[in-house]
Amino acid sequence: MRLDTLYTAETPEGIALSLRPAGLVARGLAYLIDFAIRLGIFTVISIAVGMMGKMGFGILLISYFCLEWLYPVIFELTRAAATPGKRVMGLRVVMDSGLPVTPAAALTRNLLRAADFVPAFYGAGIVSMLWRRDSKRLGDLAAGTLVVFSDHVSLHGEVPAAEPQAPARPLSAREQMAIVSWAGRATRLTPERFDELARVAEPVLGPDTSGASASQRLLGVAQWVLGRRAGADARGGGR
Amino acid sequence: MTPLDFEAAYAPLWTELEAVIRVAETKRKFDGARLATLYRRVCEHLALAQARAYPIHLTQRLESLTQSAHRLIYRQHDYGLARFARLALVDFPEAVRAHRVYLLVSALMFLLPLLAAGWAAYRDPGFILHLLDASAVQQFDSMYSDSAESLGRTRSAGDDWQMFGFYIMHNIGIGFRCFAAGIFAGVGSAAVVVFNGVQIGAVGGYLIAAGHAENFCSFVITHSAFELTAIVLAGAAGLRLGYAWVAPGRYTRLESLRLAARHAVVIVYGVIGLLLVAAAIEAFWSSARWIAPAVKYGVGGACWVLVLAYLGWQGRPRAAAAAKAEDRAG
Repeated sequence: MRLDTLYTAETPEGIALSLRPAGLVARGLAYLIDFAIRLGIFTVISIAVGMMGKMGFGILLISYFCLEWLYPVIFELTRAAATPGKRVMGLRVVMDSGLPVTPAAALTRNLLRAADFVPAFYGAGIVSMLWRRDSKRLGDLAAGTLVVFSDHVSLHGEVPAAEPQAPARPLSAREQMAIVSWAGRATRLTPERFDELARVAEPVLGPDTSGASASQRLLGVAQWVLGRRAGADARGGGR
Repeated sequence: MTPLDFEAAYAPLWTELEAVIRVAETKRKFDGARLATLYRRVCEHLALAQARAYPIHLTQRLESLTQSAHRLIYRQHDYGLARFARLALVDFPEAVRAHRVYLLVSALMFLLPLLAAGWAAYRDPGFILHLLDASAVQQFDSMYSDSAESLGRTRSAGDDWQMFGFYIMHNIGIGFRCFAAGIFAGVGSAAVVVFNGVQIGAVGGYLIAAGHAENFCSFVITHSAFELTAIVLAGAAGLRLGYAWVAPGRYTRLESLRLAARHAVVIVYGVIGLLLVAAAIEAFWSSARWIAPAVKYGVGGACWVLVLAYLGWQGRPRAAAAAKAEDRAG
């Protein structure tokens, strides 16, 4: 069973973009922030036009219309592809093909807010978002859009330095990948856990001669897999 | 080739692409050709790195690079006036004609209840009380009567602006909701259209029976050309959404819905335009009592002819040319 909600979109260049759809909480908070901003703008306008009499009231109604319907459309068509609230939450709107959102799609998804709002307080939208792995509300379904996190998370860092050490036996491609991936998580795991995982790979480490810890030695193997060789700083051992 | 060799050989290209992206994201002028070249190279590198299971921090760097470049390269640029003109002159009327079946259904769903309710209210002045409460009816009575407080007699410029704002907020909001409600199998759109038909018909029938025929008709004739067509069009767009979902044909339901929305939203663009015009006319022209009813009938009739002709014939020759060009390309 898949645990993550990663969404991949293939580009014409033949690579897969991995998008991380944002869930209900992040989007709900973004909505609340936007709501507060809209309320603030509306209050400012209503004070400003308060002394203009009935004409001012007309302007107020027009600005209400713009804030209700056009505010998200206009912001989602900017470069950030996000309303201020979404930007605060680190979200952006994209087409589900990974492309930047088009004007027609931005309008469609925001007009269909009216359908998502049914029966009250975005009931239909919330059900749809919780139902689907990619957290689309009805407007997103019709427009073919996706709200994603704009930043990458990097769970893996550089492989820490260690004295390169050849493995005790030839490693398959999968084993090499597992060891390098383990090494990339050096800064994220506690030292104890890191060492515990290293001991799982004990059989490839060979007999212990130096007295270094298992993780130190496995890091050496990881460096060796990456192409560093003992003694020489020259890259690539001619594998 | 080991990961270290790979990184050493191509890292300069990656840093260059990073720099190009940074320039492109902040400034208007940048080297697009170089961006595209580098982007394609880095796409290759990413594919290689993934196939060879290189360290994840390396592939992640390439992934985020290609993603930012992809975003820049496929950005849409044509928001300009030419696009807008094409929308008004070709795309919108074309889209309306492409939806003629939905349009017919929507128009019938609007007109039949309107006529029925109008006839009922005309025959029996009490009928309207089934739909509106007495105070609202009284308000309509005084609005269209010949008394001093009636519509347009004592209105100032401020009143006109207030009503303009109200019409924009209220009417365009209805148009939008009418479209959006269509996603629920079209039922929502149908309900909005029928409800508006009944309401308008009943009020019209009642006012005509009450002897305000001239005041009422001269008031509504001009802006109704835009407003009523817009409501019917919004209904048609909504029905398209609903039908696409109910009867997807050879697509999946979602794919069908998405396709329908892409076509139907062009109609919604036009609905916004029509309702803006209607709001302006309703606020500044329809309510002006100093204009003789005969003039209003003339202008109103001309508007009806114009709107219908626009929807029926505008944009045909160019559309044919575009279709031919597409044929040649395909």
